[in-house]
Amino acid sequence: MRRSVDDRVLGGVCGGLAARLRVGPRTVRVLAVLAIALGGMGILLYMALWVAVPAADETSSIGGRVVGDRRELQVVLAFSTAVLAVLLVLQALGLNGLGIPAWSLLAGAVGALVVWRGASPAESARLRETLNAAPVIGSTPGKGWRLFAARALIGAVLIIFGISELSRSGNFSGAAFAVLVGAAAFVGGFLVLFAPWWARTLRDLSTERRERVRAEERADMASHVHDSVLQTLLLIQKSAGDPAEVTRLARIQERELRHWLFNPAMLGRRSDQPPTFAAAMADIEREIEDTYGVGIELILVGDCPMDDSTAALVGASREASVNAAKWSGCAEVTVFAEVEHDVVSVFVRDLGKGFDPEQVSADRQGIAASMVERMARHGGQVTVASAPGTGCEVELVLPRSNGDR
Amino acid sequence: MTDDRRLRVFVVDDHALIRSGIRAELGDEVEVVGEADEVDAAVELILERRPDVVLLDVHMPGGGGRAVLEAVTAEAPEVAFLALSVSDAAEDVIDVIRAGARGYVTKNISGPDLLDAIGRIADGDAVFSPRLAGFVLDAFADPAGGGLPVPSFDAELDQLTPREREVLRLIARGYAYKEIARELGISAKTVESHVSAVLRKLQLANRYQLTNWATERRIN
Repeated sequence: MRRSVDDRVLGGVCGGLAARLRVGPRTVRVLAVLAIALGGMGILLYMALWVAVPAADETSSIGGRVVGDRRELQVVLAFSTAVLAVLLVLQALGLNGLGIPAWSLLAGAVGALVVWRGASPAESARLRETLNAAPVIGSTPGKGWRLFAARALIGAVLIIFGISELSRSGNFSGAAFAVLVGAAAFVGGFLVLFAPWWARTLRDLSTERRERVRAEERADMASHVHDSVLQTLLLIQKSAGDPAEVTRLARIQERELRHWLFNPAMLGRRSDQPPTFAAAMADIEREIEDTYGVGIELILVGDCPMDDSTAALVGASREASVNAAKWSGCAEVTVFAEVEHDVVSVFVRDLGKGFDPEQVSADRQGIAASMVERMARHGGQVTVASAPGTGCEVELVLPRSNGDR
Repeated sequence: MTDDRRLRVFVVDDHALIRSGIRAELGDEVEVVGEADEVDAAVELILERRPDVVLLDVHMPGGGGRAVLEAVTAEAPEVAFLALSVSDAAEDVIDVIRAGARGYVTKNISGPDLLDAIGRIADGDAVFSPRLAGFVLDAFADPAGGGLPVPSFDAELDQLTPREREVLRLIARGYAYKEIARELGISAKTVESHVSAVLRKLQLANRYQLTNWATERRIN
């Protein structure tokens, strides 16, 4: 027998049974409901089948999966002992009306837990759909006050019923003191025995949830990366005749991959966080590589928050890098930025054709002047070292105010 | 290096494309005595052939470059290792250096530069890429600069001298050793001895402190 996938209300047990016994599914369902209503053995049976019988589209049963996984088994056992403790306490308090229905409810609860822990992703997705469609249990958000009212009403009815049952049994008046003491000792004993285990299991569960969230993030990241790599490869094939474009594409992709792999924090930087100096420098790297197709080897040592003066330094560094990218004829520019206690320095160096700083064309002089002026406003300095044929290095130094301003 | 005895180089990388690329870049300048694509084979062949320099990929299945380094160094400490990687992760870099590699370069290094690095490693010197220099400056940051305020157990090992710092800065700025020597007015040999001293500190300095730095860097 297999649990049905197509014809199911909860676990597909009735549908499966009907198919196996060659009777109408409706007949089986009516019988099941009757079995549950009369004494509750039906729940036990249903849960046993749900847990032990594999679904039609699967090879292993839920129970098999849970028993095979030590951690899952532990969760189920911890939960079972907790429920068992509650039931025994109720029993000891003299609520004898509980009887068999209570025990089969316990079995049902444990079964539900096993299903929850052990269901395959496909099955739990199906179950969630069913539960969301149910009016009360449904966890779909945004159904408004109607759902809330339904819940509150049902909760209140249950509580009032419980209280009236308790007071009706009458054991609380008169000589019930001994019973209460006994129950307290009983609960205490259970706590001493099992509480650490429950706590650990709960902790394990939350760790597991965190791990799962992290794994999901990683999976998201991986799929994004794969996607973008595939697209880049496609673009590279299309522009195979244009070496410059191929280099540019490869470089953009390489940088993106590196950010994903080695610097997830920077990439996932939220826009509501103030960017730091290092992040702003990394933006320059991105911008220049994309715009000019020149590689930037960016080396960052230390970091500091951005303020007016560091913003000026980043701006001047951008100008220096753009200059190097545009004029040097070099395929790669090295940018080294170091944040020290009292000073931030940036070095932009290329090994390109270089120039004589004394005899530069007017437009480049303008750029240099704006850089110098910008830095000077914040007490910084610009030094340009270059000679024809030896490349060029621009040194930008900014004293740090260290917040005493 | 003299021509009568070419350097014997061994290549360990799990990507065949990279291995053949490296072979092509190296050309006839050195003798490639073998290559391996996984840890066990690499250890066995290196111990058998005793190359001068091993070019070692950092990331490999079965324990990575580190496993090769440790196994070989235990038996044949004279074999020098140059770590070759595409990784920018500080942990990886620091890890192979501490396991005993004498240098770290990225795989996009040009052929002549790679040959130069191999020669240096074979001579017992250290090879620092700009990025490695940046990492070291960051890891050994002046505590006053808000870098690593960890109390130092061995002041000499856990700090860089001002001169070493200068040399590292120039490497990080993209200067070659010769240019550094000219800039600082010292001999190229002195530059090399500074870099070797930094390498030694990197390998011997307080492990906890460095590991901490590498992980923090990843988080921030």
